[in-house]
Amino acid sequence: MTQELTVMMLTWEFPPRIIGGISPHVYHLSKSLAKNGVKVYVVTCDFPGAPQHEIVDGVEVFRIDSYKNPSPNFATWVYLMNVNMQKEAAALVNRLGGKVDIFHAHDWLVANAGIGLKHVFRKPLLATIHSTEIGRRNGLHFDYERMIHETEAWLTYEAWKVICCSNYMISHVRWAFGLPEDKLVMVPNGVNIQEYTKNKNTDLRQFRRKFALPEEKLVLYVGRLVYEKGIHVFVNAVPKILGKVDAKFVVVGNGYMKEPLSNLVKSMGLAHKVMFTGFVDDRTLRSLQRCADVSVVPSLFEPFGIVALEAMAAKSPIVVSDTGGLSEIVEHNVNGVKVYPENPDSLAWGITKVLLDEKYAEGIRTNAYKKVLEKYDWDKISQQTKDVYEAVLKEYSKSFWA
Amino acid sequence: MRVIILSWEFPPRIVGQLANYVKELAVQLVKKDVETHVVTYHDFLTGEYKEPEGVKTYRVKNPVRTHIGVLTWVLTLNQEVERAAANIYYKANKQINLIDAYDWHFIQAAVTLKKAFNIPFVYSVESLEEHRSHGTNYPFNMSIKSIEWLGLYEAKKVVVKSEWMRDEVVRIYKVPSDKIKVIAPKSRTWMKDILETYKNVAGGTA
Repeated sequence: MTQELTVMMLTWEFPPRIIGGISPHVYHLSKSLAKNGVKVYVVTCDFPGAPQHEIVDGVEVFRIDSYKNPSPNFATWVYLMNVNMQKEAAALVNRLGGKVDIFHAHDWLVANAGIGLKHVFRKPLLATIHSTEIGRRNGLHFDYERMIHETEAWLTYEAWKVICCSNYMISHVRWAFGLPEDKLVMVPNGVNIQEYTKNKNTDLRQFRRKFALPEEKLVLYVGRLVYEKGIHVFVNAVPKILGKVDAKFVVVGNGYMKEPLSNLVKSMGLAHKVMFTGFVDDRTLRSLQRCADVSVVPSLFEPFGIVALEAMAAKSPIVVSDTGGLSEIVEHNVNGVKVYPENPDSLAWGITKVLLDEKYAEGIRTNAYKKVLEKYDWDKISQQTKDVYEAVLKEYSKSFWA
Repeated sequence: MRVIILSWEFPPRIVGQLANYVKELAVQLVKKDVETHVVTYHDFLTGEYKEPEGVKTYRVKNPVRTHIGVLTWVLTLNQEVERAAANIYYKANKQINLIDAYDWHFIQAAVTLKKAFNIPFVYSVESLEEHRSHGTNYPFNMSIKSIEWLGLYEAKKVVVKSEWMRDEVVRIYKVPSDKIKVIAPKSRTWMKDILETYKNVAGGTA
């Protein structure tokens, strides 16, 4: 009998600790890999109330002390947290008698731990690059940003293969770090359709009333309220849309732009039309996505665009800016509407079109749902990831480390 | 006996008094038939050098060039120290008796190697952040102190150079004093004490 393929995932977030997209990504990927016969250990940061060790849907999760002393800044905290992470992961591999085939690190946040474990145990390291500093900041302006950028470069240098979730990210990462093309592999991000079908008995009409009047269309934005997500473009499009169709604009998420944006909305006299909900629980979010008349992703920089995929799975029509991973997910006029990035007029045009033309909206949301089933199913994605693992292990078996 | 010494300074790169001390120690250990590997840092100060007789040195560079301070610089440099030490470990058929780590800089590597391979380590304290920072206690200082604490907690034995320093380690970090060994560098029994400590720490393996 062949031995079971064993992977150790390193990630700074895993449910219930949810900060960005890495947490759900690693959760779904690990769970589907486990279903596909891969033994998965997840080593991640601790979270209040979450156990240090548990088995979640066939995945063995270890939560480490995420370093809670004061640290000078975020990046230094990341490196300090990595001291603890590699120490605990090393002890775990030691207990397992070295039986881990691959270390899989997600973003620079676990670079040190991943690289250290690779050399200490002489096992291949894989990296998934979800986002880059140079992309998030639109350039490198300070030593702080350069340091993070170089840490990302170092991770991709040490990794056997680098996985990105879109063709856009492949070319971006290739450019940012000067990587050879054959080191990069595209494996899309996925979405779990069951999330949108499991709470069937929620009374959506009743639920919708908490957010919008029956005669108002519901326009939904979900995401961090930060510059790169283009939320300011969205707010500036609001008056242009209201001239043509009555609607309520619901903004879900938090971020440093929340206060300036809500002040902007007040000064526009539109506080009654734009609602900032902050962070909402999973069930509320899923229900909101299901009753949205249109979901909007106005990002300026978007490595993948999981929110668009979620809206597609929730059967909500989508309007996205034509950039990054969004450009690949959406086919204009077929499964969504693409608009010019950073252009409120274009965004308002797209949203208005979907809201006023019901037949058109029906067409794109049906096609979008079909595309999700075809391409962004976690079972298929975990199989592709497993193929990458196996290819790497085959190469590894010929190396002097094996 | 086979020992790996971790020190962030080693001749010709001299920052303080640690460099020459570690060199002298390594040379004397070799004379006592201890296979001695020194992992240290290489930069533009290093220049040309001739390795001391019989000592095997490994000079690593920082994989991340831009840093915002000594703390982040140290925390990434450690990965290269770990890599060099792991290479020594595998080349020596996994037979390393102990690691001797000087000051807080490479505690991260020493602790990871201990957890991974059960190699015990000695933490040789040259100075403490409490004294270097003259009582300032910004998050920066606290972070370094937390690394010193980790080293003192995980080390099998702590070596200091004076009784005063032993008392300070006990006072600041509440380390039991019987975990600390005072070995004065200029004393007649210096090498004997070092070898004895190494043998104790290595236990049955040496």
